[in-house]
Amino acid sequence: MNNILEIKKITKNYHTKEGEIKALNNINLNIKKDEIISLVGPSGCGKSTLLAIISGLDKDYTGIINKKDNLKMAYMLQSDALLPWLTIYENAILGLKINHALTKENLEYVDYLLNLYKLKEFKDNYPKSLSGGMKQRLALIRTLAMKPDILLLDEPFCALDGQSKLLISEDVYQICKKEKKTVILVTHDIEEAITFSDRVIVLSERPAEIKRIINIAIPNKSSILERRKDKLKEEYFDLIWKDLNNES
Amino acid sequence: MSPEQKKYLKNIKITKFKIIFWQIFLLLLFFILWEVLVHYGIISSFIYSSPSRIIKTIIELINDNNFFIHVYITLKEVIISFLLGISLGFLIAIILYEWKTLAKILDPYLTMLNSLPKVALGPLIIIISGANIKSVIVMALLINLIVSVITIYNGFLQTDEYRLKLFKTMKANRWQTLTKLVIPSSYQTIISSFKLGIAQSLVGVIMGEFLVSKMGIGYLIVYGKQVFNLDLVMSGIILLAIISYILYKLIVILEKRLLKHTN
Repeated sequence: MNNILEIKKITKNYHTKEGEIKALNNINLNIKKDEIISLVGPSGCGKSTLLAIISGLDKDYTGIINKKDNLKMAYMLQSDALLPWLTIYENAILGLKINHALTKENLEYVDYLLNLYKLKEFKDNYPKSLSGGMKQRLALIRTLAMKPDILLLDEPFCALDGQSKLLISEDVYQICKKEKKTVILVTHDIEEAITFSDRVIVLSERPAEIKRIINIAIPNKSSILERRKDKLKEEYFDLIWKDLNNES
Repeated sequence: MSPEQKKYLKNIKITKFKIIFWQIFLLLLFFILWEVLVHYGIISSFIYSSPSRIIKTIIELINDNNFFIHVYITLKEVIISFLLGISLGFLIAIILYEWKTLAKILDPYLTMLNSLPKVALGPLIIIISGANIKSVIVMALLINLIVSVITIYNGFLQTDEYRLKLFKTMKANRWQTLTKLVIPSSYQTIISSFKLGIAQSLVGVIMGEFLVSKMGIGYLIVYGKQVFNLDLVMSGIILLAIISYILYKLIVILEKRLLKHTN
């Protein structure tokens, strides 16, 4: 498989009145097409910063990012960030509207997604009528509507309760597999990282460096629920757990 | 509908009815007590007037073709200064939000202007704008503008950080972020600034009319005081109370329409 994105020697410093804080140190990472990777690390280590650099939101860094010119990336955040004054449909097409991409084809795709995620019947309602899980699903639709080559998931499930978290992460997993999306997931949930991804990148404490890259060899790729049951999961869990706790 | 649901809805209705009943009751009690106390000479009708004398005064004003012109002038001044205040306030708040450094530079001046008693500027305004309706409007504008700017600007600053980040990730430009996110997010604050603005405009207009005017309800009050016609003074106050209540209610109706879907 060829690389869709190559990250070379990324270093990032924050500047504050108190002085310079090194956030990322010499990060090298290749991301292959259609693969799902997770970034795990202690909180505040710079996972989200790395994601912001990859997406192009944060341009203040040193190093090289190689990618195709027209590579499209779209974010899903930890808050659904829905706009309460817009209907569910208007929320779903928000990204398209902002990017002047309200083509017939794109709108049909939104309809398809709304239908698939069982939100079509509520499309003229307002977000306040939706449950937490449904809101997050809508946020996913809004992200997918942009037809990104890479999906950037910045702790998208962390605000959800246990059951919704499983259900919605399963939803996201299924659609990522089905639509063959390349995904970068930032999470502090080790189990989520293992069951969701093909590779887990373990970052150290600040300044974050790559501590370990684990290829997840759980053969079953049908669903997260099935992957949770795999014995290999426990081994990976121990490995990452030790990595994350060595330092603290 | 289940009996429990029916009971629940009925309870809501009863509570609502009770509140309205007591509101009207208190109002009537106040006026009746006032009338009775004056009638039996317990308080002086010359100083405190009475509801019946107020009604008589207002009817006289109407018969002399004076009533509507005074109400019209005051309303006109209030509405012009209110509209000018909120539109200018809105515009300035946008400028401050978009240019944060400017906002920081102007911060101490805004604070100072906010706490300065604007009535102190009265004489200056009269000299600059002349003893006319313009002065009244400038006075009211000065009073409501700073409050509008500060309220709306602070509303803009409270835009949800995740929604701002979302717009960034969608590569929205500044204009899109402002019009599709920051302003709609601040509907509630903007409406609050309308409520403050209308009250402040009334204060400003009456203050202005006290100082310069030959027309309007503020003028009626000042004139009434000068000729010791306290029925006129009281009528003016009652009229003002009615006008401010109606204007406030109009904004509440607007609020309900605008904020139907916001959490």
